[in-house]
Amino acid sequence: MRFFDSHVHMVSRTTDDYQRMAAAGVAAIIEPSFWQGQPRTEVGTFKDYFNSLIGFERFRASQFGIKHYCTIGLNPKEANNEKLAEAVMELMPLYICKEGVVGIGEIGYDDQSKMEEKYLIRQAEMALEADLPIQIHTPHRDKKKGTNRTMDVLVDVGVSPDKVIIDHNNEETVKEVLDRGFWAAFTIYPHTKLGNERMVDLMLEYGAEKIVVDSAADWGISDPLAVPKTAALMKERGVTIEEIEKVTYHNPLAAYGQSGQVEESDWEDHEGIDATALFEGNTLFRGGQDIDEAMSQYLIE
Amino acid sequence: MRDTLLAALSASASADAVSWLRGQISELSENFEKHPFYYAFSGVSRRFDKAATIQSENETIVGWDEFRTARVALLLVLAEKDKDTFLESFSAVLNTADIREQIALFSALRWMRHQEDLVESAVDGLRSNIVDIYDSIALDNPFPQEHFTDEAWNQMVLKAIFISRPLHRIHGIEARRNQALAEAISDLAHERWAAGRLITPEAWRSCIGFIDERIAGDIAKMAESENPDDRAAAALVVAEEESGKLESRKTTLADELSKIEIGDLSWKSLGQEMEDKIIRKSLT
Repeated sequence: MRFFDSHVHMVSRTTDDYQRMAAAGVAAIIEPSFWQGQPRTEVGTFKDYFNSLIGFERFRASQFGIKHYCTIGLNPKEANNEKLAEAVMELMPLYICKEGVVGIGEIGYDDQSKMEEKYLIRQAEMALEADLPIQIHTPHRDKKKGTNRTMDVLVDVGVSPDKVIIDHNNEETVKEVLDRGFWAAFTIYPHTKLGNERMVDLMLEYGAEKIVVDSAADWGISDPLAVPKTAALMKERGVTIEEIEKVTYHNPLAAYGQSGQVEESDWEDHEGIDATALFEGNTLFRGGQDIDEAMSQYLIE
Repeated sequence: MRDTLLAALSASASADAVSWLRGQISELSENFEKHPFYYAFSGVSRRFDKAATIQSENETIVGWDEFRTARVALLLVLAEKDKDTFLESFSAVLNTADIREQIALFSALRWMRHQEDLVESAVDGLRSNIVDIYDSIALDNPFPQEHFTDEAWNQMVLKAIFISRPLHRIHGIEARRNQALAEAISDLAHERWAAGRLITPEAWRSCIGFIDERIAGDIAKMAESENPDDRAAAALVVAEEESGKLESRKTTLADELSKIEIGDLSWKSLGQEMEDKIIRKSLT
Protein backbone atom coordinates (compact mmCIF):
# COMPACT_ATOMS: atom_id res chain seq x y z
CA MET A 1 0.00 0.00 0.00
CA ARG A 2 1.04 3.59 -0.45
CA PHE A 3 0.34 6.43 1.95
CA PHE A 4 0.10 10.21 1.99
CA ASP A 5 1.05 11.60 5.41
CA SER A 6 -0.40 15.09 5.26
CA HIS A 7 1.19 16.32 8.48
CA VAL A 8 4.78 15.57 9.42
CA HIS A 9 7.63 17.87 10.53
CA MET A 10 10.53 16.33 8.69
CA VAL A 11 13.04 19.06 9.58
CA SER A 12 13.11 17.37 13.00
CA ARG A 13 13.55 13.86 11.65
CA THR A 14 16.57 11.92 10.48
CA THR A 15 17.34 10.15 7.24
CA ASP A 16 16.63 6.86 9.03
CA ASP A 17 13.04 8.02 9.28
CA TYR A 18 12.92 8.91 5.60
CA GLN A 19 14.25 5.44 4.76
CA ARG A 20 11.71 3.68 6.91
CA MET A 21 8.84 5.83 5.65
CA ALA A 22 9.76 5.09 2.04
CA ALA A 23 10.05 1.39 2.80
CA ALA A 24 6.65 1.40 4.54
CA GLY A 25 5.02 2.92 1.45
CA VAL A 26 4.81 6.63 2.26
CA ALA A 27 4.75 8.18 -1.22
CA ALA A 28 4.12 11.82 -0.35
CA ILE A 29 4.08 14.08 2.67
CA ILE A 30 3.05 17.56 3.69
CA GLU A 31 5.28 19.46 6.08
CA PRO A 32 3.28 22.19 7.81
CA SER A 33 5.01 25.31 9.06
CA PHE A 34 4.98 25.24 12.82
CA TRP A 35 6.97 26.43 15.77
CA GLN A 36 10.32 24.82 16.42
CA GLY A 37 10.00 23.75 20.03
CA GLN A 38 11.15 27.11 21.29
CA PRO A 39 9.96 30.55 20.24
CA ARG A 40 11.76 32.39 17.47
CA THR A 41 12.82 35.94 18.16
CA GLU A 42 13.59 37.24 14.68
CA VAL A 43 11.67 37.20 11.42
CA GLY A 44 14.82 36.13 9.58
CA THR A 45 14.62 32.70 11.15
CA PHE A 46 11.12 32.34 9.70
CA LYS A 47 12.45 33.21 6.26
CA ASP A 48 15.19 30.62 6.48
CA TYR A 49 12.71 28.07 7.85
CA PHE A 50 10.30 28.67 4.97
CA ASN A 51 13.25 28.51 2.55
CA SER A 52 14.21 25.12 3.93
CA LEU A 53 10.62 23.86 3.51
CA ILE A 54 10.56 24.83 -0.18
CA GLY A 55 14.22 24.03 -0.74
CA PHE A 56 16.49 21.68 1.09
CA GLU A 57 13.85 19.58 2.85
CA ARG A 58 12.12 19.01 -0.47
CA PHE A 59 15.42 17.92 -1.95
CA ARG A 60 16.20 15.70 1.04
CA ALA A 61 12.84 13.91 0.76
CA SER A 62 13.35 13.38 -2.98
CA GLN A 63 16.50 11.44 -2.22
CA PHE A 64 14.35 8.83 -0.56
CA GLY A 65 11.72 8.80 -3.29
CA ILE A 66 9.24 10.76 -1.20
CA LYS A 67 7.45 13.75 -2.68
CA HIS A 68 7.48 16.66 -0.24
CA TYR A 69 4.93 19.48 -0.06
CA CYS A 70 4.42 22.12 2.59
CA THR A 71 2.00 24.59 4.05
CA ILE A 72 3.13 28.09 4.98
CA GLY A 73 1.88 29.95 8.03
CA LEU A 74 2.41 31.58 11.38
CA ASN A 75 1.60 29.15 14.18
CA PRO A 76 -0.63 30.32 17.04
CA LYS A 77 2.03 30.18 19.76
CA GLU A 78 4.24 32.67 17.98
CA ALA A 79 1.26 34.77 16.91
CA ASN A 80 1.34 36.15 20.45
CA ASN A 81 4.52 38.09 19.63
CA GLU A 82 2.88 40.93 17.74
CA LYS A 83 5.98 42.55 16.31
CA LEU A 84 7.24 39.23 15.02
CA ALA A 85 3.79 38.26 13.76
CA GLU A 86 3.48 41.45 11.71
CA ALA A 87 6.84 40.79 10.09
CA VAL A 88 5.80 37.23 9.23
CA MET A 89 2.58 38.56 7.64
CA GLU A 90 4.81 40.69 5.37
CA LEU A 91 6.89 37.65 4.52
CA MET A 92 4.15 35.13 3.76
CA PRO A 93 2.97 36.59 0.42
CA LEU A 94 6.39 35.73 -0.96
CA TYR A 95 5.77 32.05 -0.31
CA ILE A 96 2.13 31.12 -0.49
CA CYS A 97 1.82 30.90 -4.28
CA LYS A 98 4.97 28.90 -4.76
CA GLU A 99 5.21 25.52 -6.44
CA GLY A 100 4.37 22.75 -3.95
CA VAL A 101 2.81 25.04 -1.33
CA VAL A 102 -0.51 23.27 -0.77
CA GLY A 103 -2.08 25.48 1.86
CA ILE A 104 -1.86 28.01 4.66
CA GLY A 105 -0.99 26.21 7.88
CA GLU A 106 -0.77 25.15 10.48
CA ILE A 107 -2.70 28.01 11.99
CA GLY A 108 -5.37 28.28 14.65
CA TYR A 109 -5.49 28.70 18.41
CA ASP A 110 -3.17 27.77 21.23
CA ASP A 111 -4.14 29.85 24.29
CA GLN A 112 -7.12 31.24 22.37
CA SER A 113 -5.83 34.75 22.92
CA LYS A 114 -6.96 37.87 21.07
CA MET A 115 -3.65 38.05 19.27
CA GLU A 116 -4.01 34.46 18.07
CA GLU A 117 -7.43 35.29 16.73
CA LYS A 118 -6.14 38.37 14.92
CA TYR A 119 -3.56 36.36 12.99
CA LEU A 120 -5.89 33.45 12.39
CA ILE A 121 -8.20 35.90 10.62
CA ARG A 122 -5.39 37.61 8.71
CA GLN A 123 -4.10 34.28 7.45
CA ALA A 124 -7.57 33.00 6.57
CA GLU A 125 -7.98 36.13 4.44
CA MET A 126 -4.65 35.41 2.80
CA ALA A 127 -5.83 31.88 2.00
CA LEU A 128 -8.94 33.31 0.36
CA GLU A 129 -6.84 35.72 -1.66
CA ALA A 130 -4.49 32.98 -2.87
CA ASP A 131 -7.29 30.42 -3.19
CA LEU A 132 -5.57 27.90 -0.93
CA PRO A 133 -6.78 25.28 1.57
CA ILE A 134 -6.19 25.92 5.28
CA GLN A 135 -4.61 23.47 7.69
CA ILE A 136 -5.87 24.05 11.23
CA HIS A 137 -4.04 23.25 14.44
CA THR A 138 -6.59 22.80 17.21
CA PRO A 139 -5.51 23.68 20.74
CA HIS A 140 -4.38 21.10 23.28
CA ARG A 141 -6.19 22.84 26.13
CA ASP A 142 -9.91 23.61 26.00
CA LYS A 143 -9.91 21.77 22.70
CA LYS A 144 -13.61 21.41 22.05
CA LYS A 145 -14.39 25.07 22.56
CA GLY A 146 -11.27 26.10 20.65
CA THR A 147 -12.18 23.88 17.70
CA ASN A 148 -15.70 25.26 17.47
CA ARG A 149 -14.47 28.80 17.82
CA THR A 150 -11.96 28.22 15.01
CA MET A 151 -14.72 27.03 12.71
CA ASP A 152 -16.91 30.02 13.62
CA VAL A 153 -14.11 32.46 12.80
CA LEU A 154 -13.34 30.81 9.47
CA VAL A 155 -16.96 30.81 8.40
CA ASP A 156 -17.22 34.49 9.37
CA VAL A 157 -14.24 35.32 7.19
CA GLY A 158 -15.98 33.57 4.30
CA VAL A 159 -13.87 30.44 3.98
CA SER A 160 -15.63 27.37 2.61
CA PRO A 161 -15.50 24.46 5.12
CA ASP A 162 -14.60 22.16 2.26
CA LYS A 163 -11.27 23.95 1.94
CA VAL A 164 -10.32 23.55 5.59
CA ILE A 165 -8.62 20.56 7.20
CA ILE A 166 -9.13 20.65 10.97
CA ASP A 167 -6.35 18.63 12.57
CA HIS A 168 -5.72 16.94 15.93
CA ASN A 169 -9.36 15.93 16.35
CA ASN A 170 -10.59 13.48 18.96
CA GLU A 171 -13.83 11.78 20.01
CA GLU A 172 -15.14 15.03 21.45
CA THR A 173 -14.60 17.28 18.43
CA VAL A 174 -15.14 15.08 15.39
CA LYS A 175 -18.92 15.14 15.15
CA GLU A 176 -19.30 18.87 14.94
CA VAL A 177 -16.38 19.20 12.52
CA LEU A 178 -17.91 16.68 10.12
CA ASP A 179 -21.45 17.98 10.58
CA ARG A 180 -20.32 21.44 9.57
CA GLY A 181 -18.67 20.15 6.39
CA PHE A 182 -14.98 20.49 7.34
CA TRP A 183 -12.34 17.81 6.77
CA ALA A 184 -11.50 16.05 10.04
CA ALA A 185 -7.86 15.04 10.44
CA PHE A 186 -6.59 12.83 13.27
CA THR A 187 -3.05 12.85 14.48
CA ILE A 188 -1.78 9.49 15.68
CA TYR A 189 0.72 10.68 18.25
CA PRO A 190 1.74 8.56 21.21
CA HIS A 191 0.80 9.61 24.73
CA THR A 192 -0.44 13.17 24.18
CA LYS A 193 -2.86 13.09 21.26
CA LEU A 194 -4.50 9.96 19.94
CA GLY A 195 -3.53 6.29 19.92
CA ASN A 196 -4.43 4.26 16.87
CA GLU A 197 -6.84 1.88 18.57
CA ARG A 198 -9.05 4.85 19.34
CA MET A 199 -8.63 5.88 15.71
CA VAL A 200 -9.97 2.56 14.53
CA ASP A 201 -12.95 2.89 16.86
CA LEU A 202 -13.61 6.33 15.41
CA MET A 203 -13.47 4.93 11.87
CA LEU A 204 -15.90 2.19 12.78
CA GLU A 205 -18.28 4.83 14.09
CA TYR A 206 -17.88 7.63 11.51
CA GLY A 207 -16.71 5.80 8.38
CA ALA A 208 -14.10 7.22 6.00
CA GLU A 209 -15.86 10.22 4.49
CA LYS A 210 -13.79 13.41 4.94
CA ILE A 211 -11.56 11.70 7.51
CA VAL A 212 -7.76 12.04 7.30
CA VAL A 213 -5.10 10.22 9.33
CA ASP A 214 -1.65 11.75 9.85
CA SER A 215 1.38 11.39 12.11
CA ALA A 216 2.41 14.97 12.99
CA ALA A 217 5.76 13.42 13.84
CA ASP A 218 8.11 16.15 15.06
CA TRP A 219 10.85 16.79 17.61
CA GLY A 220 8.96 15.06 20.39
CA ILE A 221 8.36 11.36 21.01
CA SER A 222 6.33 10.64 17.93
CA ASP A 223 6.17 8.14 15.12
CA PRO A 224 6.83 8.87 11.42
CA LEU A 225 5.34 5.45 10.64
CA ALA A 226 2.07 6.29 12.40
CA VAL A 227 0.06 6.30 9.15
CA PRO A 228 1.20 2.90 7.81
CA LYS A 229 0.96 1.40 11.32
CA THR A 230 -2.57 2.67 11.76
CA ALA A 231 -3.47 1.25 8.36
CA ALA A 232 -2.13 -2.12 9.50
CA LEU A 233 -4.23 -1.99 12.65
CA MET A 234 -7.30 -0.95 10.68
CA LYS A 235 -6.86 -3.92 8.39
CA GLU A 236 -6.55 -6.28 11.36
CA ARG A 237 -9.68 -4.82 12.91
CA GLY A 238 -11.70 -5.33 9.74
CA VAL A 239 -11.83 -1.88 8.16
CA THR A 240 -12.10 -2.35 4.39
CA ILE A 241 -9.08 -1.67 2.19
CA GLU A 242 -11.08 0.91 0.32
CA GLU A 243 -11.77 2.84 3.51
CA ILE A 244 -8.18 2.55 4.69
CA GLU A 245 -6.94 3.95 1.38
CA LYS A 246 -9.40 6.77 1.66
CA VAL A 247 -8.26 8.07 5.03
CA THR A 248 -4.53 7.47 4.53
CA TYR A 249 -4.19 8.51 0.89
CA HIS A 250 -7.13 9.65 -1.22
CA ASN A 251 -8.75 12.04 1.27
CA PRO A 252 -5.65 14.12 2.06
CA LEU A 253 -4.89 14.18 -1.64
CA ALA A 254 -8.39 15.45 -2.41
CA ALA A 255 -8.37 18.01 0.40
CA TYR A 256 -4.97 19.54 -0.37
CA GLY A 257 -5.33 18.87 -4.09
CA GLN A 258 -7.70 21.86 -4.07
CA SER A 259 -4.52 23.97 -4.10
CA GLY A 260 -3.75 22.72 -7.60
CA GLN A 261 -0.24 22.07 -6.29
CA VAL A 262 -0.40 18.36 -5.62
CA GLU A 263 -1.63 15.49 -7.75
CA GLU A 264 -1.00 11.79 -7.88
CA SER A 265 0.91 12.08 -11.16
CA ASP A 266 3.61 14.04 -9.30
CA TRP A 267 4.90 10.76 -7.96
CA GLU A 268 3.19 8.19 -10.19
CA ASP A 269 4.94 9.54 -13.28
CA HIS A 270 8.20 8.71 -11.64
CA GLU A 271 7.90 4.93 -11.54
CA GLY A 272 5.41 5.06 -8.68
CA ILE A 273 6.89 3.91 -5.43
CA ASP A 274 8.81 0.95 -6.74
CA ALA A 275 11.60 0.82 -4.18
CA THR A 276 14.23 -0.07 -6.75
CA ALA A 277 13.40 2.77 -9.14
CA LEU A 278 14.98 6.17 -9.63
CA PHE A 279 13.17 9.27 -8.55
CA GLU A 280 14.04 12.28 -10.72
CA GLY A 281 17.55 11.04 -11.10
CA ASN A 282 18.13 10.20 -7.46
CA THR A 283 18.67 6.73 -6.12
CA LEU A 284 15.78 5.56 -4.07
CA PHE A 285 16.12 3.76 -0.79
CA ARG A 286 16.91 0.12 -1.47
CA GLY A 287 17.36 -1.42 1.96
CA GLY A 288 14.72 -1.75 4.61
CA GLN A 289 15.78 -4.74 6.68
CA ASP A 290 14.63 -2.98 9.81
CA ILE A 291 11.24 -2.08 8.40
CA ASP A 292 9.63 -5.41 9.21
CA GLU A 293 10.72 -5.01 12.78
CA ALA A 294 9.53 -1.41 12.93
CA MET A 295 6.16 -2.31 11.45
CA SER A 296 5.67 -5.39 13.58
CA GLN A 297 4.84 -3.20 16.58
CA TYR A 298 2.05 -1.23 15.02
CA LEU A 299 0.07 -0.41 18.08
CA ILE A 300 0.50 3.24 19.08
CA GLU A 301 -0.82 4.09 22.51
CA MET B 1 12.39 41.10 -25.31
CA ARG B 2 9.04 40.84 -23.59
CA ASP B 3 7.31 40.27 -26.92
CA THR B 4 9.80 37.55 -27.80
CA LEU B 5 9.12 35.77 -24.51
CA LEU B 6 5.36 36.09 -24.85
CA ALA B 7 5.44 34.88 -28.44
CA ALA B 8 7.49 31.85 -27.44
CA LEU B 9 5.09 31.12 -24.58
CA SER B 10 2.07 31.47 -26.86
CA ALA B 11 3.45 28.68 -29.01
CA SER B 12 3.95 26.42 -26.02
CA ALA B 13 1.61 27.15 -23.12
CA SER B 14 -2.17 27.09 -22.83
CA ALA B 15 -4.06 30.16 -24.04
CA ASP B 16 -5.43 30.66 -20.51
CA ALA B 17 -1.97 30.76 -18.99
CA VAL B 18 -0.65 33.23 -21.55
CA SER B 19 -3.65 35.48 -21.20
CA TRP B 20 -3.25 35.41 -17.40
CA LEU B 21 0.39 36.44 -17.83
CA ARG B 22 -0.48 39.26 -20.24
CA GLY B 23 -3.06 40.48 -17.74
CA GLN B 24 -0.52 40.44 -14.90
CA ILE B 25 2.03 42.28 -17.03
CA SER B 26 -0.35 45.03 -18.01
CA GLU B 27 -1.70 45.38 -14.47
CA LEU B 28 1.80 45.54 -12.95
CA SER B 29 3.03 47.92 -15.64
CA GLU B 30 0.29 50.41 -14.85
CA ASN B 31 0.09 50.01 -11.13
CA PHE B 32 2.95 48.15 -9.53
CA GLU B 33 2.41 46.71 -6.07
CA LYS B 34 4.62 44.30 -4.19
CA HIS B 35 2.17 41.62 -3.18
CA PRO B 36 0.51 41.14 -6.57
CA PHE B 37 4.01 40.94 -8.05
CA TYR B 38 5.03 38.23 -5.57
CA TYR B 39 1.84 36.30 -6.25
CA ALA B 40 2.34 36.54 -10.00
CA PHE B 41 6.03 35.64 -9.90
CA SER B 42 5.56 32.54 -7.76
CA GLY B 43 2.09 31.79 -9.16
CA VAL B 44 3.56 31.09 -12.60
CA SER B 45 3.90 27.54 -11.28
CA ARG B 46 0.13 27.26 -11.02
CA ARG B 47 -0.48 28.02 -14.65
CA PHE B 48 2.45 26.93 -16.77
CA ASP B 49 4.15 23.62 -17.47
CA LYS B 50 7.64 23.24 -16.08
CA ALA B 51 8.33 20.26 -18.33
CA ALA B 52 7.57 22.13 -21.57
CA THR B 53 10.59 23.34 -23.53
CA ILE B 54 10.56 26.69 -25.30
CA GLN B 55 11.29 27.06 -29.02
CA SER B 56 12.18 30.48 -30.37
CA GLU B 57 14.13 32.33 -33.02
CA ASN B 58 15.98 33.94 -30.15
CA GLU B 59 18.72 31.45 -29.32
CA THR B 60 19.11 32.67 -25.76
CA ILE B 61 15.76 31.28 -24.67
CA VAL B 62 15.71 28.05 -26.68
CA GLY B 63 15.39 25.15 -24.25
CA TRP B 64 14.13 27.23 -21.33
CA ASP B 65 11.12 25.84 -19.50
CA GLU B 66 7.85 27.78 -19.35
CA PHE B 67 8.36 28.77 -15.70
CA ARG B 68 11.65 30.51 -16.44
CA THR B 69 10.30 32.21 -19.55
CA ALA B 70 7.15 33.55 -17.88
CA ARG B 71 9.04 34.71 -14.79
CA VAL B 72 11.62 36.58 -16.84
CA ALA B 73 8.75 38.33 -18.64
CA LEU B 74 7.46 39.50 -15.25
CA LEU B 75 10.92 40.62 -14.16
CA LEU B 76 11.11 42.82 -17.26
CA VAL B 77 8.12 44.71 -15.86
CA LEU B 78 9.85 45.10 -12.51
CA ALA B 79 12.98 46.39 -14.25
CA GLU B 80 11.05 49.39 -15.54
CA LYS B 81 10.27 50.63 -12.04
CA ASP B 82 12.28 53.17 -10.07
CA LYS B 83 15.54 51.98 -8.59
CA ASP B 84 14.38 51.53 -4.98
CA THR B 85 11.26 49.60 -5.90
CA PHE B 86 13.21 47.45 -8.31
CA LEU B 87 16.02 46.57 -5.93
CA GLU B 88 13.70 45.94 -3.00
CA SER B 89 11.43 43.55 -4.88
CA PHE B 90 14.24 41.86 -6.77
CA SER B 91 16.09 41.03 -3.59
CA ALA B 92 12.88 40.06 -1.77
CA VAL B 93 12.01 37.43 -4.37
CA LEU B 94 15.61 36.29 -4.69
CA ASN B 95 16.05 35.79 -0.94
CA THR B 96 12.95 33.63 -0.79
CA ALA B 97 13.24 31.90 -4.14
CA ASP B 98 12.94 28.18 -4.80
CA ILE B 99 15.26 26.56 -7.34
CA ARG B 100 13.30 27.37 -10.47
CA GLU B 101 12.67 30.92 -9.29
CA GLN B 102 16.39 31.46 -8.73
CA ILE B 103 17.10 30.19 -12.23
CA ALA B 104 14.66 32.74 -13.67
CA LEU B 105 16.11 35.60 -11.61
CA PHE B 106 19.69 34.89 -12.64
CA SER B 107 18.73 34.33 -16.26
CA ALA B 108 17.08 37.76 -16.27
CA LEU B 109 20.15 39.64 -15.00
CA ARG B 110 21.28 40.63 -18.50
CA TRP B 111 18.05 42.55 -19.12
CA MET B 112 17.84 44.26 -15.75
CA ARG B 113 18.75 47.87 -15.02
CA HIS B 114 21.03 48.86 -12.13
CA GLN B 115 23.14 45.84 -12.87
CA GLU B 116 26.01 47.10 -10.73
CA ASP B 117 23.77 46.57 -7.69
CA LEU B 118 23.10 42.94 -8.61
CA VAL B 119 26.69 41.75 -8.89
CA GLU B 120 26.91 40.60 -5.26
CA SER B 121 23.77 38.48 -5.70
CA ALA B 122 25.18 36.82 -8.80
CA VAL B 123 28.50 36.08 -7.09
CA ASP B 124 26.61 34.63 -4.14
CA GLY B 125 24.38 32.55 -6.41
CA LEU B 126 27.46 30.84 -7.83
CA ARG B 127 28.16 29.44 -4.37
CA SER B 128 25.12 27.18 -4.77
CA ASN B 129 25.66 23.45 -4.87
CA ILE B 130 22.68 23.12 -7.17
CA VAL B 131 24.12 22.84 -10.64
CA ASP B 132 21.12 24.32 -12.45
CA ILE B 133 21.43 27.49 -10.38
CA TYR B 134 25.15 27.72 -11.07
CA ASP B 135 24.51 27.21 -14.78
CA SER B 136 21.91 29.97 -14.94
CA ILE B 137 24.59 32.49 -13.96
CA ALA B 138 27.74 31.07 -15.49
CA LEU B 139 26.54 29.65 -18.79
CA ASP B 140 25.08 31.51 -21.79
CA ASN B 141 24.93 34.64 -19.66
CA PRO B 142 26.82 37.86 -20.52
CA PHE B 143 26.42 39.25 -17.00
CA PRO B 144 29.59 37.87 -15.33
CA GLN B 145 31.81 38.93 -18.22
CA GLU B 146 30.52 42.47 -18.01
CA HIS B 147 30.47 42.93 -14.24
CA PHE B 148 32.67 40.52 -12.33
CA THR B 149 36.03 41.49 -10.86
CA ASP B 150 38.93 39.23 -11.88
CA GLU B 151 38.70 37.57 -8.49
CA ALA B 152 35.02 36.67 -8.91
CA TRP B 153 35.53 35.75 -12.55
CA ASN B 154 38.36 33.38 -11.74
CA GLN B 155 36.35 31.70 -8.97
CA MET B 156 33.48 31.17 -11.40
CA VAL B 157 35.68 29.64 -14.10
CA LEU B 158 37.57 27.45 -11.65
CA LYS B 159 34.31 26.17 -10.20
CA ALA B 160 33.05 25.46 -13.72
CA ILE B 161 36.17 23.36 -14.32
CA PHE B 162 35.84 21.78 -10.90
CA ILE B 163 32.25 20.63 -11.45
CA SER B 164 32.73 19.81 -15.16
CA ARG B 165 30.55 22.47 -16.74
CA PRO B 166 30.92 23.28 -20.46
CA LEU B 167 33.35 26.21 -20.62
CA HIS B 168 32.57 27.09 -24.23
CA ARG B 169 29.19 28.37 -23.02
CA ILE B 170 30.75 30.94 -20.69
CA HIS B 171 30.57 34.36 -22.31
CA GLY B 172 33.98 36.04 -22.32
CA ILE B 173 35.92 32.87 -21.64
CA GLU B 174 38.61 34.16 -24.04
CA ALA B 175 38.36 37.90 -23.45
CA ARG B 176 38.74 37.61 -19.68
CA ARG B 177 41.79 35.35 -19.59
CA ASN B 178 44.35 36.46 -17.04
CA GLN B 179 47.62 35.40 -15.45
CA ALA B 180 46.16 34.43 -12.06
CA LEU B 181 43.51 32.22 -13.67
CA ALA B 182 46.07 30.48 -15.89
CA GLU B 183 48.23 29.70 -12.87
CA ALA B 184 45.26 28.47 -10.82
CA ILE B 185 44.22 26.16 -13.66
CA SER B 186 47.70 24.70 -13.83
CA ASP B 187 47.64 24.17 -10.06
CA LEU B 188 44.26 22.47 -10.25
CA ALA B 189 45.49 20.22 -13.07
CA HIS B 190 48.51 19.18 -11.02
CA GLU B 191 46.27 18.41 -8.04
CA ARG B 192 44.00 16.33 -10.22
CA TRP B 193 46.88 14.44 -11.79
CA ALA B 194 48.36 13.75 -8.36
CA ALA B 195 45.05 12.17 -7.42
CA GLY B 196 44.97 10.17 -10.65
CA ARG B 197 42.06 12.19 -11.99
CA LEU B 198 41.46 14.25 -15.14
CA ILE B 199 40.74 17.88 -15.83
CA THR B 200 38.43 19.00 -18.62
CA PRO B 201 40.57 19.73 -21.73
CA GLU B 202 38.61 22.94 -22.28
CA ALA B 203 40.40 24.38 -19.23
CA TRP B 204 43.60 25.03 -21.17
CA ARG B 205 41.89 27.60 -23.35
CA SER B 206 42.13 30.06 -20.47
CA CYS B 207 45.91 29.70 -20.38
CA ILE B 208 46.55 31.01 -23.90
CA GLY B 209 48.64 34.17 -23.69
CA PHE B 210 49.94 33.24 -20.25
CA ILE B 211 52.22 30.35 -21.11
CA ASP B 212 55.13 30.17 -18.71
CA GLU B 213 57.55 27.30 -18.34
CA ARG B 214 55.29 25.31 -16.09
CA ILE B 215 52.17 25.67 -18.25
CA ALA B 216 54.25 24.91 -21.36
CA GLY B 217 55.08 21.64 -19.62
CA ASP B 218 51.37 21.02 -18.97
CA ILE B 219 50.56 21.56 -22.63
CA ALA B 220 53.41 19.23 -23.62
CA LYS B 221 51.86 16.58 -21.36
CA MET B 222 48.49 17.13 -23.04
CA ALA B 223 50.07 16.94 -26.49
CA GLU B 224 51.41 13.50 -25.67
CA SER B 225 48.29 12.24 -23.94
CA GLU B 226 46.58 9.07 -25.13
CA ASN B 227 43.26 10.84 -24.79
CA PRO B 228 42.30 12.45 -28.14
CA ASP B 229 40.38 15.23 -26.31
CA ASP B 230 43.55 16.25 -24.49
CA ARG B 231 45.52 16.31 -27.73
CA ALA B 232 42.76 18.33 -29.41
CA ALA B 233 42.93 20.90 -26.60
CA ALA B 234 46.73 21.05 -26.79
CA ALA B 235 46.55 21.65 -30.55
CA LEU B 236 43.99 24.43 -30.08
CA VAL B 237 46.30 26.11 -27.56
CA VAL B 238 49.35 25.69 -29.80
CA ALA B 239 47.49 27.09 -32.82
CA GLU B 240 46.44 30.23 -30.95
CA GLU B 241 49.47 30.90 -28.77
CA GLU B 242 51.51 33.72 -30.30
CA SER B 243 54.43 33.79 -27.88
CA GLY B 244 56.29 31.09 -29.81
CA LYS B 245 56.78 29.11 -26.60
CA LEU B 246 54.90 26.11 -27.93
CA GLU B 247 56.33 25.97 -31.46
CA SER B 248 58.16 22.71 -30.73
CA ARG B 249 54.82 20.92 -30.15
CA LYS B 250 53.62 21.46 -33.69
CA THR B 251 55.11 18.24 -35.07
CA THR B 252 53.49 15.99 -32.43
CA LEU B 253 50.14 17.61 -33.08
CA ALA B 254 50.28 17.76 -36.90
CA ASP B 255 47.05 15.77 -37.34
CA GLU B 256 45.05 17.88 -34.89
CA LEU B 257 46.45 21.13 -36.31
CA SER B 258 45.36 20.20 -39.81
CA LYS B 259 41.86 19.49 -38.47
CA ILE B 260 41.82 22.99 -37.02
CA GLU B 261 43.01 24.35 -40.36
CA ILE B 262 40.10 22.85 -42.29
CA GLY B 263 37.56 23.78 -39.58
CA ASP B 264 36.98 20.28 -38.21
CA LEU B 265 38.17 21.17 -34.73
CA SER B 266 37.48 24.25 -32.65
CA TRP B 267 36.98 25.11 -28.99
CA LYS B 268 33.27 25.00 -29.69
CA SER B 269 33.33 21.53 -31.25
CA LEU B 270 35.53 20.23 -28.45
CA GLY B 271 33.31 21.87 -25.85
CA GLN B 272 30.17 20.38 -27.34
CA GLU B 273 31.76 16.97 -27.41
CA MET B 274 32.72 17.30 -23.76
CA GLU B 275 29.23 18.49 -22.90
CA ASP B 276 27.71 15.38 -24.45
CA LYS B 277 29.89 13.35 -22.12
CA ILE B 278 28.68 15.16 -19.00
CA ILE B 279 25.73 13.55 -17.30
CA ARG B 280 23.52 16.42 -16.36
CA LYS B 281 21.96 16.39 -12.93
CA SER B 282 18.27 17.11 -13.07
CA LEU B 283 16.17 19.41 -10.95
CA THR B 284 14.77 17.97 -7.75
